[in-house]
Amino acid sequence: MALTTLILGLVLGGTYALLALGLTLQYGIARIMNLAYGEFTLVAAFCLVALFQGAGIPPLWAMIAVAPAGYAVGWALYAVMMRPLVTRAGNSGRLEVDSILATFGLLFLIQGVLLVVFGANFTSISYLDQGVRVLGVSVAANKLIAFGICAVVGGGLVLALHFTRWGLTLRAVAQTPGSAPLVGIDVNRMARQGFALGTALAAVGGASVAMHQTFSATGGVVFTMKALVIVIMGGVGNIGGALVAGLALGLVETFVATAIDPGLTLAATFAIFLGVLLWRPQGLFGRG
Amino acid sequence: MLEVDLLSVSYGKHVALDNVSLTVSPGEMVAILGANGAGKSSLLGAIGGRVTPAHGGITFEGADLLRLPDHARVEAGIALVPEGRGIFPGLTVAENLTLGANPRHARAGADAQRAEILALFPRLGERLGQVAGTMSGGEQQMVAIGRALMSAPKLLLLDEPSLGLAPIVVQEVFAALGRIRETGLTILIVEQNARATLALADRAYLLEAGRITGSGPAQELRTDPAVVRAFLGGAIPAEQ
Ligand SMILES: Nc1ncnc2c1ncn2[C@@H]1O[C@H](COP(=O)(O)OP(=O)(O)OP(=O)(O)O)[C@@H](O)[C@H]1O
Ligand SMILES: [Mg+2]
Repeated sequence: MALTTLILGLVLGGTYALLALGLTLQYGIARIMNLAYGEFTLVAAFCLVALFQGAGIPPLWAMIAVAPAGYAVGWALYAVMMRPLVTRAGNSGRLEVDSILATFGLLFLIQGVLLVVFGANFTSISYLDQGVRVLGVSVAANKLIAFGICAVVGGGLVLALHFTRWGLTLRAVAQTPGSAPLVGIDVNRMARQGFALGTALAAVGGASVAMHQTFSATGGVVFTMKALVIVIMGGVGNIGGALVAGLALGLVETFVATAIDPGLTLAATFAIFLGVLLWRPQGLFGRG
Repeated sequence: MLEVDLLSVSYGKHVALDNVSLTVSPGEMVAILGANGAGKSSLLGAIGGRVTPAHGGITFEGADLLRLPDHARVEAGIALVPEGRGIFPGLTVAENLTLGANPRHARAGADAQRAEILALFPRLGERLGQVAGTMSGGEQQMVAIGRALMSAPKLLLLDEPSLGLAPIVVQEVFAALGRIRETGLTILIVEQNARATLALADRAYLLEAGRITGSGPAQELRTDPAVVRAFLGGAIPAEQ
């Protein structure tokens, strides 16, 4: 029982951690607070389902296309929608407010389109849902695969950020954007990359959601909120913190759902969030 | 190598630089002396791309520099150590140096360049793992200069490298500048510490309220009565 909760919690937490990584990349590097983040997750999830049910393409194959597609969409969106805001804001600090308003609008735009195309019903697919025994506990294979994808993508990103020149450049821009041009870093280019990469992570997260969870066109806000809660819990800009906080949130939700009541998971999430905001606003792993 | 031609910079109505012209030849060390608010940082900022001039031109190795955005000027071979140093305070000394070698032309020789910089500032070698923001002002200045050198520049722009440092550290910084100069690197330096700067530089320009009011070989300016009065304070230093 405890072991089941632990394993299922880690599986859920893996998806959350991945989603939080994408959001924190967008906010930390592109300085855009993307309130439509969860909608990108949903778009990817619906695409995966449509490809599976409509064309018979197995989700694992579709997944390979989802990440680059997400990157391309993020890239284009940054160029069309965000860049004018960035240019207009200059150094005035207006970008934060402007981007919140703009992506808030985008949220309803995407949600409206999803409702028209896919309807308001809950959606799920049955794909690789036979049980696999892990440490004596039976876990659906799709959950394990989803977890594996999150672990590989999230872990790979953390390693790349800490051990490659590219990662060092991203961290430099995230921490001190004003100094970046002094070493020849094109901050706008990095911002576009960060935003696109964040969208790609939202898409991979959505694809993994589609493989083992039930979701609906109006549920994007919940993904955004959870990702935001995790980012703040882990400490804004703290990549490792987001990973740990994501796994922790998955564990807590699974525990609350199995031991108390599934209806209380969201309440538990926000109770933790409030607690963190009140007692450790710098995040569980933040300094100071 | 560098030609600044009738350059003007304004902030709103305030004119910070008024038709400033100067040249820097390859291998030269040129100083700009001026009081607070004379426009020294605005001048270096315009060359480094941090400030957009109202009019005038800047050419570097014959190419129009104003067409390049700030980050591309580093690729072109101009490294700026700005006032306030502009290091990455949250990253380690080693990471700051690595980032310095970000321009494409600097990557191949980065290891050798790094060894030279650590020989120049041995203190950095002992502190490679330290987070740069926790270092003393003098050490941060060494990080800033070291990082600029990592980009293998053709022209080094220094904005008051001795600002806010204790006299002993100022000496250390100027000693390092002397050794950098011996490598033949072209340097344009802005300073208020006129005595130490004129001892190192080949030529200097005097900047007052946004205009160039004088220029000449550093040797001559050191004994020029007007310069002595304005920048060196007190009597003409004893010369042998
Ligand atoms: N961003 C700005 N906005 C408005 N005015 C500015 C700005 N930057 C500089 N100035 C003004 O332009 C003038 C020249 O400034 P600048 O920083 O170039 O002088 P400086 O010679 O470097 O001075 P210091 O020795 O104090 O560093 C000053 O009067 C300053 O107040
Ligand atoms: Mg200045």
